[in-house]
Amino acid sequence: MEIKRTHCRLGDQTYEVVDTPGLHCLYIHSEEELIVRDMIFSENPDVIIQCIDTNRLKQSLILTADLLELGIPVVMSLNAIDEITRRGMWVDSSGLSRILGIPVVESVAVQNRGTKKLKDAINNVSNGKCSIRYGDIIEKGISAIESKLPEDINYKRKASVLMLLQDPFLADNLKKTYGEENITQLRAEVNRVSLEFRGNLSHVINNMRNRWVDTITEQVIRKQKIKLREFSRVFAHLSRHPIFGIPILMTIIFIMYFLVVDVANVIANWMDGTLWIPFQSRIDNIVSNEFLKEFLIGDYGILSIGLANAIITILPILSVFFLFFNILEDIGYIPNLIVLTKRLFEKFGLSGSAIMPLVLGFGCKTMATLTTKSLSSRKERYIAIYLIAFAIPCAPQMALNMSILGRMGVMAFVIAFSTLVFVEIVAGLTLNRILKEEAKSDFIQELPTIRLPSIKAVLVKTYYRLFWFIKEAVPVFIYAAIIIFAIDKVGILDAIKNVFRPVINGFLGLPIQMVDALILCIVRHEAASGMIIKLIEKGELNYVQSIVSVTITTMFVPCFANIIAMIKQLGAKRALTMTVIINGSSFIIAGVLNWILVDLFKL
Amino acid sequence: MNLKRESEEYLERLWLMKDENKDSIDVLMDALGENFKTEIVDDLLSENLVNLTQNNKKIFLTEKGVDYARQIIRAHRIAERLIYDILGSEFESGACEFEHIVTTELVDSICILLGHPRECPHGMPIPEGECCKHSAKTAESLVIPLTELKVGQSAPVAYVNCQNDQLLHKIDSLQIRPRAIIKLHQIYPSYVIECEGGTIALDKEIVSNIFVWKKPSDISDRLKEMHRRDQTEIIAKGRFKIGHRWAHQRRRRGF
Repeated sequence: MEIKRTHCRLGDQTYEVVDTPGLHCLYIHSEEELIVRDMIFSENPDVIIQCIDTNRLKQSLILTADLLELGIPVVMSLNAIDEITRRGMWVDSSGLSRILGIPVVESVAVQNRGTKKLKDAINNVSNGKCSIRYGDIIEKGISAIESKLPEDINYKRKASVLMLLQDPFLADNLKKTYGEENITQLRAEVNRVSLEFRGNLSHVINNMRNRWVDTITEQVIRKQKIKLREFSRVFAHLSRHPIFGIPILMTIIFIMYFLVVDVANVIANWMDGTLWIPFQSRIDNIVSNEFLKEFLIGDYGILSIGLANAIITILPILSVFFLFFNILEDIGYIPNLIVLTKRLFEKFGLSGSAIMPLVLGFGCKTMATLTTKSLSSRKERYIAIYLIAFAIPCAPQMALNMSILGRMGVMAFVIAFSTLVFVEIVAGLTLNRILKEEAKSDFIQELPTIRLPSIKAVLVKTYYRLFWFIKEAVPVFIYAAIIIFAIDKVGILDAIKNVFRPVINGFLGLPIQMVDALILCIVRHEAASGMIIKLIEKGELNYVQSIVSVTITTMFVPCFANIIAMIKQLGAKRALTMTVIINGSSFIIAGVLNWILVDLFKL
Repeated sequence: MNLKRESEEYLERLWLMKDENKDSIDVLMDALGENFKTEIVDDLLSENLVNLTQNNKKIFLTEKGVDYARQIIRAHRIAERLIYDILGSEFESGACEFEHIVTTELVDSICILLGHPRECPHGMPIPEGECCKHSAKTAESLVIPLTELKVGQSAPVAYVNCQNDQLLHKIDSLQIRPRAIIKLHQIYPSYVIECEGGTIALDKEIVSNIFVWKKPSDISDRLKEMHRRDQTEIIAKGRFKIGHRWAHQRRRRGF
């Protein structure tokens, strides 16, 4: 999760601006939301800017009610105001501002409209009005709890309401900071109020808040009955449709494939020819020391498998891939896959809530593993983490797989990916059988509005992704090159190769150089893929070998960061067992695949 | 307050005490305050609705008393559901009178009309009636689970059954609640609904606990209108011939 901080100057004031992830309300549903709430409670912000998708004004006003209850000045930014106009809706923003007592600014963020007004509004903030009262019993209870709260805690009223709602995180937090004793008293008070109230406090408190929201929206939203069959709605509908959805998904995958193969590979080849080869021959001429030459541009040189591998071979492929992937993300296409694949995942014992992490796994497996925390069933969490770690390629891996297999033709791509899909299905079904059944968690997930992508947003996001790749991965590539170079020189590499030779040569049918790629896999999967590309270019991998090596590198060892995330979620013992099982099965599967392709189909 | 009504208040209290595993007569006296009268307790004793033990310190409902109290509680909570969700107004004052004037059959009919709600607006369970056991549909329900809607249809939410607080918050924050209009977009491979401008994917389990008005023509709005005009009349006379009067009161709302 990212929280971005920056400074900005408005008039003669300097502000620190903190961009937090989204929040539904101050009653917390996930770890991520908790971090945001803790920030509000501990950092005591001067102004909160609530950015609202005006399409979902009602949903957002729930949070507004909570924020106003804190007593922090709020500025509301009504975003995507152009979209609701097209839907035949109109929001009386000055009326809204009057009712809430806070500045309300209309804006269209993708076109940078309304930014100046927003800046002005920040300079003229005031405390808003929130007139929600919960009735005598609850109000008295709130005051009673307030008086029992520790002196130095901020926003006592809201904290008391959250205590009444039995917010699990708040009580734990208080216990940590103020000690068991103070909190026991507080708990007793909360219990007393709940008993006195006789009824479900959450129901009533939510109802009051909802009524407040209703009264406001009734006054400020005007609707016109116009039926627009917008392109975006039709597309959203089709992309989730059980019949049309699958061809759309296939088309998207193949567009991606051809972009990577026909555009990215060409760029990479061109860069190799015009940049790397001349550079390599220059080094070759300048450096006379054989050892140094090998250290720089040899088989395991820091420039050849370090820098050039990252920048010349991998970067162009990632650029093209991320550009397309970010467009898909910006459109809001990806979460729709949840709907499409739900039934399939149910067969694996996964309810809808577990699909989101799996889908996220196609972006980054580490992040996806971390989001499994939101799954309440342990069985589901285990299966999801396993499937993410196993045969799902993360975005860069996907891009490079496409690039490698594209050199061998569409059929190779289809074979390798069918194998991966098959493996995931078998793994899912097996795990579902082995693990004991538990209660299912309830699935309810908001889907984003499908909208045309903003070119600027896509470019900025692609830039950042590539920037992080260069910043984080390139040094790792270089260290890995140094390590491999070292173990090669000492002779360990050859020893390892000798041990694994029967497996690699015999069982997998791969050249022994693949050991290098598998070692690199442990560090970063992209590095391994770069190595495979190099082997193909040298003509050392044939059709079947390419397919087998792609399948094995996709499944083999989840990357280091992913293992750390797994340890965090499952504990070291289980995570490591899982890694060992995954590695073992990836060898077996690749071997079987090799046997099928070579001996059965005579490829 | 007449005697019958007063003794029924006692039975309601005792039911609530039973839920909390309390049976001390002091608790009952505390709860009723000034209204506590020994003659009512005597009366309940003579009708064999309550029992006293341990030197008159403990009081609890007899089997007969439990049955009676269940009916009252059921009527009370069903009335709350009706008044709160359907008529859209505050419930306590209305419901308190209601449970003393209706018959079991009338309560059952309302229960059927509302599609057998399981909780009152406070989230307390509504005791099952005979009608719920057979999930009777002899009288046509006006309220149906969202699962019975066809793709493309929209309907206003009547109420949501949900025992899990966390989940309720989530459902609530997505604006799925009484009077919100829900459009069913898709059933297979997963339910997709639209509510207040947001698109939501969810499990069948949750969908089947969302209850909607059968006809998209704003029944609840009309009921609200009716309620404003002659609120007292409806409640006092227990006139619940829903359906008859609306035909004359068609009114278009909105823009």
